[in-house]
Amino acid sequence: MKLLRGFLWLLVFQLIGHAVVEWLSLPVSHAMAGLLLLFAWLLVKRRLNENVATASQALLPLLAMLIMPGVVGVFFVIDEFAGHWTAVLIALGVGTFLSVLTTLWLMLRFMPKEAASSDERKPQS
Amino acid sequence: MNALYDSLINTPTLAVALTLAAYLGGVALFERMGRPSWCPAVLIGAVFTAAGLWLLRYDFADYQRNVAWLTLLLGPATVALAVPLYQQRQHIFALWKPILCSLPLAAVLAAFYAVLIAWLLGAPPAVLASLAPKSVTAPLAMGIQEQIGGSLSLMLGGLLITGVLTTIFVSLLARLLKITDQRILGFALGVNGHAIGIVRAFELGPKAGAFASLGMSLVGVFSALFLPLAWRLLGL
Repeated sequence: MKLLRGFLWLLVFQLIGHAVVEWLSLPVSHAMAGLLLLFAWLLVKRRLNENVATASQALLPLLAMLIMPGVVGVFFVIDEFAGHWTAVLIALGVGTFLSVLTTLWLMLRFMPKEAASSDERKPQS
Repeated sequence: MNALYDSLINTPTLAVALTLAAYLGGVALFERMGRPSWCPAVLIGAVFTAAGLWLLRYDFADYQRNVAWLTLLLGPATVALAVPLYQQRQHIFALWKPILCSLPLAAVLAAFYAVLIAWLLGAPPAVLASLAPKSVTAPLAMGIQEQIGGSLSLMLGGLLITGVLTTIFVSLLARLLKITDQRILGFALGVNGHAIGIVRAFELGPKAGAFASLGMSLVGVFSALFLPLAWRLLGL
C-alpha cells in the first residue's frame, strides 16, 4: 500500500503543479511545477515521507523506458529534417565540446580546493 | 484475419507490450555488449521498437496514440525526481557559492553554443528549439519542449548524442587539462551529459556520481525555468 499511497502523493503534486501553472500561466511544464512543489514541501517538512520514497524508487528506474517511445520518432523524422542534419550534428558536436570546456573552466575557477581527504582516487579514464 | 489485425493494432495493449519487449530486449543486448557508453540501452530499444512497428506495418501516429497509456507515467516519474534532489540538499547547501557562480552560466551556455552554431548554419526555428534543451535530462527536456516547441523526436535524438559526446569530451579534456578532482569531473558530466554522463561519472567513483546527479538535477530545473522564459522574451 506504501507504493499506492506514494503514487497518489506524486499525482496530487502533479495536479497542484498543473493548477498553479494554468492559473498563473507560467512557462513551465505541469510535471516540472509538481517537482518544484514537492521539493519545496520536502524542504519545509525536513523529512522524506516513506510512501513518497517507495513510489519514487519504483518510478525513477522506469524513466529510460518511458522516454523510449519518443526516441523511436527519430527514425520517422529523418525526411522531415533532411538538409538540416549537418547543421544539427555540427551544433551538437562543437556545442558540446565548448560547453564541457566552459563547465570545467568555471568549476576549476570557483570550486574550493578539495581538502586533502581520503578520497584521492584518480579517475581511470 | 483483417478484422483481428485491425483490433490488435487499435488496442493500447499491443503498443505497451511492444514497447516493454523492445526495451527489455535493448537492455539485454546492452548488457551482452558490455554496457558500452557510446550506445545507450534506450537507443537499442528504440531501434527494436522501430523494427517491430515496421514488421507489424504499424503506423507511427497510431503507435504514439496507443502508447500514451504507458507514457502517462512520465508525469509522476518526473515529479519523483524531487526525491533525489532533496537527498542531495547537503551538497547544495555546502557548496552553494561555487554552484551559484558556475551553474546558471554553464546551463545557459550549454544551450547557447549549440543554438548559435545551428543558427549560423541556417537551421530553422523548429530545429533551434529542438536543440536548446540538449543537456537537460529527458523528462524535464520534454516539459521544456512542450513550452518552446520544436520536434520531440529530434530533441530526444540530440539529447542522446549530447550525452555520448559529453562522456568522450570530459575524458579527453580531463587528460589534457590534468583534472583529477572527482567533484569537478562529475559535475561537468552531469551538467552537460545528463543521465548518460551520470553513468560515466559513477565509473569514476561514487563522489563523481553524486556530483553528476547534482549537476544534472540543477541544470534540468534551471533550464526548465530559464529556456521557456528566454524563448518567450526572444519572441521565437
